[in-house]
Amino acid sequence: MRALCWNGVNDLRVETVADPEILNPQDVILKVRLTTTCGSDLHLIDGLIPTMREGDVLGHEFMGEIVDVGRDVTKVKRGDRVVVPSFIACGKCWYCAHDLYSLCDTSHPKPELQEPLLGYPTAGIYAYSHAFGGYAGSHAEYVRVPFADTDCFVVPDGLPDEDALFISDAAPTGFMGADFCNIQRGDVIAVWGCGGVGLMAQQSAMILGAERVIAINQYPERLAQAEAFGATPLDFTKVDVVEALRELTGGRGPDACIDAVGMEADGTGTQHAYDRIKQALYIETDRGAALRQAMLAVRKGGTLSILGVYGVLDKFPLGLLMNKGVTVRTAQQHGQAYVPRLLDHALRGELTPAALATHRFSLEDSPAGYRMFKHKEDGCLRAVFAP
Amino acid sequence: MSTAVRQDPPGAALDASAHAAVTIDRPADDLRTLWLDPRTQARIWAHFADVTARDDGTADWIARGPAGGQYRWRTKIMATSPDDIRWASLDGADVPNTGALALRPAPGDRGTELHLDVRFDPPGGIIGKAASKLFHIVPGEIVRKALYQFRALALTGEIPTTDPQPAARQGGADR
Ligand SMILES: NC(=O)c1ccc[n+]([C@@H]2O[C@H](COP(=O)([O-])OP(=O)(O)OC[C@H]3O[C@@H](n4cnc5c(N)ncnc54)[C@H](O)[C@@H]3O)[C@@H](O)[C@H]2O)c1
Ligand SMILES: [Zn+2]
Ligand SMILES: [Zn+2]
Repeated sequence: MRALCWNGVNDLRVETVADPEILNPQDVILKVRLTTTCGSDLHLIDGLIPTMREGDVLGHEFMGEIVDVGRDVTKVKRGDRVVVPSFIACGKCWYCAHDLYSLCDTSHPKPELQEPLLGYPTAGIYAYSHAFGGYAGSHAEYVRVPFADTDCFVVPDGLPDEDALFISDAAPTGFMGADFCNIQRGDVIAVWGCGGVGLMAQQSAMILGAERVIAINQYPERLAQAEAFGATPLDFTKVDVVEALRELTGGRGPDACIDAVGMEADGTGTQHAYDRIKQALYIETDRGAALRQAMLAVRKGGTLSILGVYGVLDKFPLGLLMNKGVTVRTAQQHGQAYVPRLLDHALRGELTPAALATHRFSLEDSPAGYRMFKHKEDGCLRAVFAP
Repeated sequence: MSTAVRQDPPGAALDASAHAAVTIDRPADDLRTLWLDPRTQARIWAHFADVTARDDGTADWIARGPAGGQYRWRTKIMATSPDDIRWASLDGADVPNTGALALRPAPGDRGTELHLDVRFDPPGGIIGKAASKLFHIVPGEIVRKALYQFRALALTGEIPTTDPQPAARQGGADR
């Protein structure tokens, strides 16, 4: 089959690779209908996540049709149109039982690569380096999906592929980030980042009853999309964000701040220059401008919900969190806990993930799609590939 | 219990022995039965050795070393009780070794704790050579991965794998 392979920093090529096979009895094989780019892929493509290997098939946000099933699969069947969360979860371990699916205790084929870094291995994930399991990704004609009964969710008739697609990753991540904020009546939620994750976090915060959602970004077209979703846009290159947030909240500060930016934050000023140099020299993996700003802006006793992916940030003002009594919530997305509810919200039109699908490409043109996504050309929010 | 925090002496003894623990939300009896199933032994040690276990409690091991080396031995289960399984290699082992699995109730409703101990005792021929250099992986990793795989098998009935298609590259060149 054809697949988009990582071959080194900024080196993506469409190649012919072996078709996936059923390896375990609870696997299915999916014929990919749609698969998309995620901000997390940019960290891989830019070489900030170690243990990628040449030839790895990229892609972890996808939906498709089941074309082959393992002998122990009972709930889903051949022909089902399904969406699959990016983290692989067994549905049987303690973590899965507690809705902490991205921490699944049994889905990582190479825990020894990750244990030294984290103490305990996480769940495996598609196409996110060998330290995260070495599973092949979805930017391909076919993809193998383990634990299909837990990880494949049938898309209801009437919900288009473009909506279902983002319920794989961007939507559940954003929804989880809003869920972490434990939103109460009158709460103001500030969201850094207007990529797929940030925008979905903004819509989710509204679904969960936020009084007001404030969206922080620098690209006019992304801020316009946030505004279309009902958020108040703030351009961090034009205003002092912390000051503006104070003003917008009557001096209280946002009740919760969501970081949907991550390790490649853009910024202004000397701290940003320092971060950039260290990252360029690989002295540290992260540029944390958005996160630092969120820590300063959040109200006393508020919540900091971190969705952006980080490596090992070495300068982290812990004192801000401690002295302000901030609650920090963070995780890789526990998608399986949210997908059924998100499919319902999407069917009812409360959640509109298809708005992220600004650009569509064939699989053969996917390297061009990534270039466009990475450089945010032509207002590209997400490049969607139809293999 | 203080035995849970072991203090190995520094030096050779340290890398010749390894300990790991996992908690599995299953009754000790079920886990003990699964452990003693010969098919289980072959599967959970596959990252380290080819194991052919038999119902009589013996097992033949072929462990892989770096650069294509192989070490062979036969083990026999020496003692079992409801909360303990112990085995040891028989005379003639390339790398004499002993192993023990202890099963203890986990607090609350967490199921059963499994504590696995393996000790390698390289004989004269290889003495001076650290046990961690004998095999293609270090002893700590041997036991941790065996328990990870055992837990996966006990909870899900399968062991996670991408073999032979890690990240889908052709031929599975994952070495
Ligand atoms: N926790 C999870 O499970 C999970 C899942 C998916 C993605 N992620 C992570 O979430 C982050 C966002 O993902 P995405 O797909 O939306 O990425 P994206 O690249 O599409 O969007 C990131 C956005 O952040 C903006 N940004 C950069 N610096 C900023 C700053 N200082 N202030 C405000 N905005 C800033 C960019 O303009 C961009 O719009 C990434 O780090 C990604 O790795 C996490
Ligand atoms: Zn993602
Ligand atoms: Zn699990």
